[in-house]
Amino acid sequence: MLPKTPNALLHGALDALILKTLARGPNHGYSIAKFIEETTDEAVLIEEGSLYPALYRLERRGWVEAEWGTSELGRRAKLYRLTDAGRQQLAAETASWRRFSTGVSKVLFSR
Amino acid sequence: MKRSLRSWLWRIPIDQEIDEELELHVEMRTRELVARGMDPKTARELALSRFGDIRTLKRTMTDLGRKRDREMRVSRWLEELADDLKVAVRQLKASPSFTLIAILTLALGIGANSAIFALVDATLLRPLPYADPDRLVSLWEKGDTIERSYVSPLNMIDWSTRGHSFEKIAGFTPTVGGMVMAGADGNAETVSRQWVSAEIFDVLGVKPIAGRTFTAEDDTERTNVIVMSEGFWHTRFNGDPGIVGRELRLDGSLWTVVGILPGDFRLLGQTSIWAMRPITNLPPRARGAYILEVVGRLRPGISIRAAEADLAAVATALAHEYPQTNKGRTVAIQPMHDSLVGRDLRLTSMLFVGVVGFVLLICCANVANLLLARATVRKRELAVRSALGAGRRRIVRQLLTESLVLSLLGGAAGMISGGAILRIAPTLIPEGLLPATVTLTFDARVAAFCAVTALLVGLIFGVVPAWKATDFSAAEVLGSDSRTMTRTGGKLRGLLVIGEVATAVLLLFGAGLLLRTLLAVDSFDRGFRAQSVLSMLVDPLGSKYPTPESLQQFYDQIEAEVGTVPGVASVGWAESLPLDFFDTGGLSFEIVGDPPVEQSQRPTTEYQVVSPTYFSTLDLPILSGRPFDKRDARDGVQVCIVNEGFARSLHGRNPIGLRVALRSAGSPDEKPTVREIVGVARQVKGRPDEIKDFVQVYVPMAQDLADDMFLVVRPQSGAAEALTPSIRAAISRVDTEQLVSVRNVMTLEDIAWTATSRHRFRAVMVVAFAALALVLALVGVVGILAYSVQQHVRDFGVRRALGATTRDVLRLVVADAARVVATGAAIGLALSAASGRLIQTMLFGVSPLDLGTFALVTIVLAVTAAFAILGPAWHAARIDPAVALRNP
Repeated sequence: MLPKTPNALLHGALDALILKTLARGPNHGYSIAKFIEETTDEAVLIEEGSLYPALYRLERRGWVEAEWGTSELGRRAKLYRLTDAGRQQLAAETASWRRFSTGVSKVLFSR
Repeated sequence: MKRSLRSWLWRIPIDQEIDEELELHVEMRTRELVARGMDPKTARELALSRFGDIRTLKRTMTDLGRKRDREMRVSRWLEELADDLKVAVRQLKASPSFTLIAILTLALGIGANSAIFALVDATLLRPLPYADPDRLVSLWEKGDTIERSYVSPLNMIDWSTRGHSFEKIAGFTPTVGGMVMAGADGNAETVSRQWVSAEIFDVLGVKPIAGRTFTAEDDTERTNVIVMSEGFWHTRFNGDPGIVGRELRLDGSLWTVVGILPGDFRLLGQTSIWAMRPITNLPPRARGAYILEVVGRLRPGISIRAAEADLAAVATALAHEYPQTNKGRTVAIQPMHDSLVGRDLRLTSMLFVGVVGFVLLICCANVANLLLARATVRKRELAVRSALGAGRRRIVRQLLTESLVLSLLGGAAGMISGGAILRIAPTLIPEGLLPATVTLTFDARVAAFCAVTALLVGLIFGVVPAWKATDFSAAEVLGSDSRTMTRTGGKLRGLLVIGEVATAVLLLFGAGLLLRTLLAVDSFDRGFRAQSVLSMLVDPLGSKYPTPESLQQFYDQIEAEVGTVPGVASVGWAESLPLDFFDTGGLSFEIVGDPPVEQSQRPTTEYQVVSPTYFSTLDLPILSGRPFDKRDARDGVQVCIVNEGFARSLHGRNPIGLRVALRSAGSPDEKPTVREIVGVARQVKGRPDEIKDFVQVYVPMAQDLADDMFLVVRPQSGAAEALTPSIRAAISRVDTEQLVSVRNVMTLEDIAWTATSRHRFRAVMVVAFAALALVLALVGVVGILAYSVQQHVRDFGVRRALGATTRDVLRLVVADAARVVATGAAIGLALSAASGRLIQTMLFGVSPLDLGTFALVTIVLAVTAAFAILGPAWHAARIDPAVALRNP
């Protein structure tokens, strides 16, 4: 049984996770969600209600682009692909996440 | 592939895109859950439930998707534009001579048009620089025999007080005169002055920058008040604010400066001061003095027609009350703008607009021609692009971008050339053609005109070549020899050049007619034989010479003193000068003893007061009878000399000894002066382009002295201007108190030159533009020639190899170009014949169907076209057959 989303993602983290997932290669929405869930051992669950708007937003900003491809089911699927601009954005978000999490960790794990 | 291509190559409706995407997600999730052992129905429900409210989600996605697509369209468009611009610039750089010629051509066309636009904008389009200019009108008196006359001050007052259509009516004198201002250092100077009635500035809505303007009290109290222009205030009084309220000594009396008017205010002509002329309590005889130019401000909502009807009623009443002066007189009203701009300027502006418009069309045709020629060269390039998948619209857009870039560059260069034309224009435009309210400047409106013209022009010359250039099948072009592909393009180019030649011929014909007009007005018989005569207006202002005797003595003294100046051959006096007559309506005359004639049927004559020495000074022959002499004194027999036009009106009777009764034309019932004709003088022109015989009587100055007179001086030899300083010095020796105003110093040649300046201006402008048109059209013809050579090079080679002479080949080469020129010329001449009468009102001494001009145009075209064609043709005809065959 899949539980409902246990923890809300911190703002901005979802974008970074999507970009990172797409850095491995073009993919469609379901696979992106699945990949994130599996990679985090289902610690992070992606809400479909926020995944797709996020994908459209990223597309609009030019960080990802979409094209029609074929899914595993042999059906027409909309595939998202990271653009050059998206790659730069990913690097920026990764760096900022590192700063953020180091900072948070320093506080939480201080003696 | 650009990311933007996705939505265009795979365009499906946004709703379908979202549905498909979400459905796939649900299905895959369901499969996953079923694989984990859930039953399919529950699995699907669970998968769906994870979307939350699916309708809200879809709405959000649709919204985002729409925005995304819109932005993509814009960015795609911009990207393509950037690409097109890059290609365009590369293409233009690749053929610099083509680019340069095209830009120069456009710069000439757009520059000329922008300068003429500035003229038309300033004169015809822009409202007058007064408050609420729509309500300002000019008012004139109109009579049975007089189309339009100035207004008597008493009539103006009655119009104003009895009529109901106007807020205010005021007047001013139509000419600018001078006043002598005594300076603190004892030096007198002449200041230009215009008389105005008190309320003129209220009518026009002018606010002073210091002090006030005139009031009704100034008028009723008849105070001596003036306002001055900002410019005069700065140059003469260094902008001293204390000048308001000060008194100045003008023409010997004291005048109070009450205000200063803004620098850009103009009424009519340039003047330094405006002096108030009181109009209340004038004597009744002022009703016959037609001296004012009158403007009125209509009440809001009143039409000119209504105002005219209103004042017509007033005029009818006045005609009953004052039949002597007002019988048959009524009122004519026209917008002030129309009366200031005038018919002549309107026609001239329209003429220029037409001419430069045609020049611009020729420019367009030329550039279109260049583009068509290039299109044949670029056919392969375009075919390759098309084969690679670019649609026809896309290629047309690319080519249009190129022509727009070209036209915008041309427009920018045109702004520069237009600005340059406007900078030198004021020196070319004859004085008096433009109303004083008009200034020519290169401003934002002219710049906007350039930009819009450039865009339109770019479209005009770009669309057809672009469409034509893409009218092919790629396979055909790529698979064949490119030489065979150009037949239709060639026909179109031929038509364009025929149009150019026809237009150029039309302009040449117009230029020819205007030139013949100029020659006609310049080479007329002046009547007098003196080569160089200096003239100046001598105005003994004020009350220094109260009686005619003292005034006559003063004039005599000056005549004697100037006569002693070394180099002076002869000195005389005249009330007015040849070629410079105002149309005053003149005097009506009857021959004493002839049967009486109805007042309205009486002939009229111009009236000129002269000294006995006038005829010898101008070397104007007395054809019969005698000149004036000492006998014709004040109390002697009243005499006159008539001109040939007058004598001719007598139908063969000998005028000598006849007596004429002269009355001013405006007052038919006044007691006439009767004068005996003692001589007939040679005909002199009153205006250079007068059509009717100028009828004139000369009267000795001793018998009817004028308040101011022109001094005329003939030098013993050489140019008369050189005598100016010594003559001025001689006048000051007589006028020791410096009360005399000497102004309008010019030679009679200057006067003739000024009088013909409008014709000269028109002729020079149109000739220049027609020459430009001719050159441009010939450039087009040479283009056709080059094209024809390129088409036939192989032919020539073969023919030469088979023994054809250079001459044979030459004939072949020239044939195309000659056919184009001949067709264009025939069409152009036919158009000229049909449209010549459009400019009839500007012609003088030449018919709009003048055969000489037709011949002249044909010869000019034939000769210039021959020069343009034969050089390159000769060159082409001598191509070595061997070379021609090797290099197709």
